[in-house]
Amino acid sequence: MKQYFKNLESGLSAAIQNGQSSPRKLYALEIARLGARLYSGVDMVSWCGIYAPFEILNAMGVTSCFVEFIGAMVASTGTVGPMIEETDHIGYSSDACSYHRAVTGAAIKGLMPVPAFLVGSTSPCTGGVAVIENLAAHFKKPLYLLQIPQDFTENNIRYLASQFRDMAAFIKKSTGVVLDNAALTTSVKNSNRARELLLEIYRLAASRPSPVSSKDLANFGIVLSLLFGTEEAVRLAESYRDEFSRRVQAGKSGVPKEKIRLLWIQNRIQFKHPIETMLADEYGAAIVCDELNDVTWDPIDPDDPYEGIARRCLSIPFNGTIENRVKHLQKLAKDYAIDGAINPCNWGCRQGTGARGLIEEGLKKVGVPVLNLEVDCVDSRKFTEGQFRTRIEAFMEMLDQRPSPWSQG
Amino acid sequence: MQQDKEYVGFACAYTPLALIHAAGFIPYRVLPMGDFPDRAGLVLHDNLCPHVKRILDRAMDNNLPALRGMVFMNSCDSMRRLYDAWQRERPDIESAIIDLPMTMDDPAVHFFSSELERLAGILKSWDGETVSEDKLAASMAQYDRIGRSFARLRKDAGNGTLGMGAGALQGLYNQASMQAPEDTIELLEKNTASPPPGAAGMGGVPVFIFGNILPNPEAFDLFESCGARVVGDDLCTGSRLFTELSSSPGDDITSRYAGALLRRRPCARTMDVRNPGSFAAGIIEQAKNSGALGVIGHTAKFCDPYIARIPHLRQKLREAGLPFIMLEGDCTLRSIGQQRTRIEAFIEMLR
Repeated sequence: MKQYFKNLESGLSAAIQNGQSSPRKLYALEIARLGARLYSGVDMVSWCGIYAPFEILNAMGVTSCFVEFIGAMVASTGTVGPMIEETDHIGYSSDACSYHRAVTGAAIKGLMPVPAFLVGSTSPCTGGVAVIENLAAHFKKPLYLLQIPQDFTENNIRYLASQFRDMAAFIKKSTGVVLDNAALTTSVKNSNRARELLLEIYRLAASRPSPVSSKDLANFGIVLSLLFGTEEAVRLAESYRDEFSRRVQAGKSGVPKEKIRLLWIQNRIQFKHPIETMLADEYGAAIVCDELNDVTWDPIDPDDPYEGIARRCLSIPFNGTIENRVKHLQKLAKDYAIDGAINPCNWGCRQGTGARGLIEEGLKKVGVPVLNLEVDCVDSRKFTEGQFRTRIEAFMEMLDQRPSPWSQG
Repeated sequence: MQQDKEYVGFACAYTPLALIHAAGFIPYRVLPMGDFPDRAGLVLHDNLCPHVKRILDRAMDNNLPALRGMVFMNSCDSMRRLYDAWQRERPDIESAIIDLPMTMDDPAVHFFSSELERLAGILKSWDGETVSEDKLAASMAQYDRIGRSFARLRKDAGNGTLGMGAGALQGLYNQASMQAPEDTIELLEKNTASPPPGAAGMGGVPVFIFGNILPNPEAFDLFESCGARVVGDDLCTGSRLFTELSSSPGDDITSRYAGALLRRRPCARTMDVRNPGSFAAGIIEQAKNSGALGVIGHTAKFCDPYIARIPHLRQKLREAGLPFIMLEGDCTLRSIGQQRTRIEAFIEMLR
């Protein structure tokens, strides 16, 4: 893995230096660098839950990553099969989420770097917490668990903020690394700058036609959160903002002759597949918005970073009731003038796909039909292209024949 | 019978029954049992746990007593989704979801205590009574008394002197979870007063059962008909709901109650962060203390907290020399009936 990421990093760096730069290449380069740091054997590593406060961890110089990243990575590199088979051998039910099975398999195979400590988070999913606990037991390393309350209330914000303070103390106790206040202030300022740029990026993405091709912003928002607090996150976001600005000014759409604007619900399919290309080439359909690409939080006060980060965590629509998520999806549908939505319904994801009926109903209320797919977003062995093609074709033909739900203004 | 009081429904073993009772309601467990059409799939995905889907089926079929409200605990993803679906399907029954920390440390207890206070306010808004310290203490004492009575019955089961089968004991658990504690105390006193001779299942092979949802008494009858004698359990629908609470420090009774609830024998979704993976040790300790020769795991399908912990538990049980069989069900008797051959073979192997 170490060599893989080093090779990826050097290959991408060379391409970028040779003038083949693009925001997506810079994004891939940052992923490669993160991977290289994770597997360097030198950096202090922490395996985390998705809601971990990466501004704080980055300010402490800890290379941190949510474990689902590994599941996505092995899927995208086509190596997921042996990882999942490893979990089959220990009796891990195939009903579980394949992100988590892949991570577990990678750990069993010795392909996960040994962390200094782990930080779990009770949101967004119960399965993820369980995997973090298993990894802590596997690596025999200390674990801190962030309890993420469900509602955005002042009491809950204070509770979560106090946990972030405790987490910093836990890291100090576990590793001796002290959180420097000046470093945290810089980190928060970088995070706020990245937030401003994200707002610009998403505003540009909502243009008609959208400057976004279906792959430009795949996994973008959630992966960028790993870099929150760093200058790299700011630079990467700037490159997207600049590129999209150029495209909008030139009237250039991400998908040529954009006809249909799609919203992708929750995670993308992580392995190589033809759906996005098929949508663009055959139907002029662009995934202009991903549910996970949005800014739902206010700037973080550098003088009170813990509360600000807590507010951000609790603002994420995956918290609380499904009503929060449905309202958010309805807002995205309106902001981006969405014609239809695709929900991959990742098998094994109880929190995400559990309420697919309610999500479908909520989007229907604003005139946006939803295509619910039954797909394992990580395990490519279960992918049945023909069946998907048939369903997508039918959905696209239906969308093609109906007026935009937003055409009446 | 406490017929003048209204029911408040619940679905999780972490529900603060004493608090609901102290607010003047009868806690009523909505068990995933009964005969009703399977319609939850219209709202919830097929991969959600059958426990929540069967409860939703009951709600959609109006297969419920008159409920003044429904209290959900934020125990897992599936329970959150059930709360969402409940609001859509039964807006006529007020509902609330209470955050439930996954750890048992002091800040978690403090937070949970504030959630219990919030629940007390919600219950009051449902025309309940103000929960005073005295009332809560009295209700806690009643539930502790029930816990002690059930502990005696479990001890008798372990000794082979229980005057009823494991199915009948499960029937008592079910009944106790759906009626006022005063009625349960009366019921249990009758059942613990004079166990008849010739206890059921005495000759069976002692086994320990753990898991989440297994409320059907006939499932336990089936175990016994396969030659097993259930000498202990760790089930959401069994002993975990009715255990005397240990004393827990706290400035006020709500804090002490919160600590006692969080720190009692955990379901797989709760963890001790100081000792990751300790769930397995807890099951092994209970199984050994019960004198079981083997361990039966039974969970409702799609339960992530158990799915993730079973491989580690399997390994630890092997190391401890305790044979283990894992069963999955869908909260119907049919699903467990299909596993009879496996259960029989397991019991035969233990002989």
